[in-house]
Amino acid sequence: MSENPFPLSKDDLLKAYRTMRTIRDFEERLHIDFAKGDIPGFVHLYAGEEACATGIMMHLNDNDRIASTHRGHGHCIAKGVDVHAMMAEIYGRSTGACRGKGGSMHIADLSKGMMGANGILGAGAPLICGAALAAKVRGDRGVGITFVGDGASNQGTFLESLNLAAVWNLPVVFVVENNGYAESTAMEWAVSCDSYVDRATGFGMPGVTVDGTDLFAVHEAAGEIIRRARDGGGPALLECNMVRFYGHFEGDAQTYRAKGEVEALRASRDCLVMLAERVVEAGVVARDELHRIDREVADLIEDAVRAAKAAPLPAASELLTDVYVSY
Amino acid sequence: MAPVVGIVANPVSARDIRRVVANATSLQVTDRANILLRVLAALRACGVADVLMMPENGGIRSHVERGLARARAQGDDLYPAIHAVAMPITGTVADTHRATRQMRLAGAAAIVVLGGDGTHRAVAAECGAVPIAGISTGTNNAFPDHREPTITGLATGLAVMGRVPPHIAFRGNKRIDVSINDGATTDLALVDVALVTERYIGARALWRTENFRELYVTFADPEVIGMSAIAGLLEPVARDESGGLMVRLSPAGHAPSDGGTILRAPIAPGMMASIGVTDWRRMPADVAFVPEVASGSIALDGEREMSFTTRDRLSLTLRDHAFRTVNVGGCMRFAAQNRLFTDAPAPVSADF
Repeated sequence: MSENPFPLSKDDLLKAYRTMRTIRDFEERLHIDFAKGDIPGFVHLYAGEEACATGIMMHLNDNDRIASTHRGHGHCIAKGVDVHAMMAEIYGRSTGACRGKGGSMHIADLSKGMMGANGILGAGAPLICGAALAAKVRGDRGVGITFVGDGASNQGTFLESLNLAAVWNLPVVFVVENNGYAESTAMEWAVSCDSYVDRATGFGMPGVTVDGTDLFAVHEAAGEIIRRARDGGGPALLECNMVRFYGHFEGDAQTYRAKGEVEALRASRDCLVMLAERVVEAGVVARDELHRIDREVADLIEDAVRAAKAAPLPAASELLTDVYVSY
Repeated sequence: MAPVVGIVANPVSARDIRRVVANATSLQVTDRANILLRVLAALRACGVADVLMMPENGGIRSHVERGLARARAQGDDLYPAIHAVAMPITGTVADTHRATRQMRLAGAAAIVVLGGDGTHRAVAAECGAVPIAGISTGTNNAFPDHREPTITGLATGLAVMGRVPPHIAFRGNKRIDVSINDGATTDLALVDVALVTERYIGARALWRTENFRELYVTFADPEVIGMSAIAGLLEPVARDESGGLMVRLSPAGHAPSDGGTILRAPIAPGMMASIGVTDWRRMPADVAFVPEVASGSIALDGEREMSFTTRDRLSLTLRDHAFRTVNVGGCMRFAAQNRLFTDAPAPVSADF
């Protein structure tokens, strides 16, 4: 094996590949199972965007909090939420991460610092300001990361949170996952300032744009921004330019996309393929090692689906449990 | 034929990690649009009636159009007519290449460029004999001079309208041609080529000095920041002299070999870094240099662009007079000396 030219150890490279492969297979499987009618509710897939969640989450520990979006499966997996519990949750089973009552858009696992996917666009941003304020008050060097799409970034909640985080100098990183479409509206029709970095600047924090399909670009930029936040440097915004392989939601006919657009993106900007090619080409990882991970992940997903289908639905008596929390 | 001026304005420069690892400037899209309006007004003041502009979806165009609409509504004839180059928009550097090519084919008399070193490099790759007037809206920006864009616009206007003789209005510039595997891949740098040991492109910018190994510069100016500053603080080389400088670097933590030294240089805005310098020497024009670094990444004008392995054969060649730029200082001094901005007859200086 050659000398490793990458900023990640071989173990970390394999770990990153495993995370990205797990997200990809998880989403590809949901795409199929949702079409078959096996899954209740709505599903928004993260396939194509794996490098972003993975590159950021590699810098976090369980004490760091994230607040996710409606497209949250990738964030959950990268933050370490159990894949079996996630699959069961999406299938609406009582063994799910939220006992089967949350579904795809409300997966949460506080033990992993995952405050929840969120069906309300832009709603994660104020939540993460609270978590970051708590970390700041405790002085435990914890950071909070919130994700929004290019659409939700126009929500008042997001803009107010930028202001609050800047005013209170909170250890927050606002990640804009810019896949070019707010549901079906291309961003140049809907974002006044045309640049998320400009938005950050307007609120008094630095903003950085990276190629969100390049794991190393995300990892490098996120590392610097997160370290800055931990060190008391305050909030920052990271815009990741990325691609969405599926529709806004499963069942979306995607008539707003050019013919052949998705195929072209899959051929040229598949973050998983690009990572694999680079580490193999550099001689750091053997292709067989990646294939072994592929097989293990395939087994994991298959087992998660099997277990989810075999698990019971929540009992009717649980209808009103976990609905309110008493403090 | 009345001269047409091309404009390439990059909406996405100055967005990289140097805003976090250093304290680099963030230039908002509205500021870029305002710069453009200043340039347009200056061009119009010199008699330029038409400009050809690269289309983009980054927001500059819409802000510029507001400025034009306001001027029209107020009955002001402040700006030239703006024509967009007919081309698809990809939001990548390919747009700059294509727009520049089309401006050259359309006979543009000069191309005003708003961007960083990277944008200027993309224009220089395609502009041929068409002179560039550079305006810095990037991060390190060793290539474009830092000056008020109105002045750049005035100088460009005077130059293309024939008010300043060409030997004063324009000047030649150097560049370094990069060839990999006997020309299978080629690229170029306007200011510097740096070879670093990181074999990934990542966030592109250069700031980990321990990975710096070799540096080749077209000019070495102690007044600029970035990689060129390293050379500039060792042995200045002017923009208008032949050849450049080659510097061999080593990790600052290690004692450099005999004759080596540790240099402190501003490699990014506000970032003074210690760099181990092994030695340096002149880089004559038209002589191919083969780097010693076996594998790593090639950074062009301060940004990692491509990685290479021990299997790749690299060659770097500096070219004198590779492309032309508008000599803003020369044009403005000529304008002053010849009273180009006064009503005829020229007023007499009180000194006489």
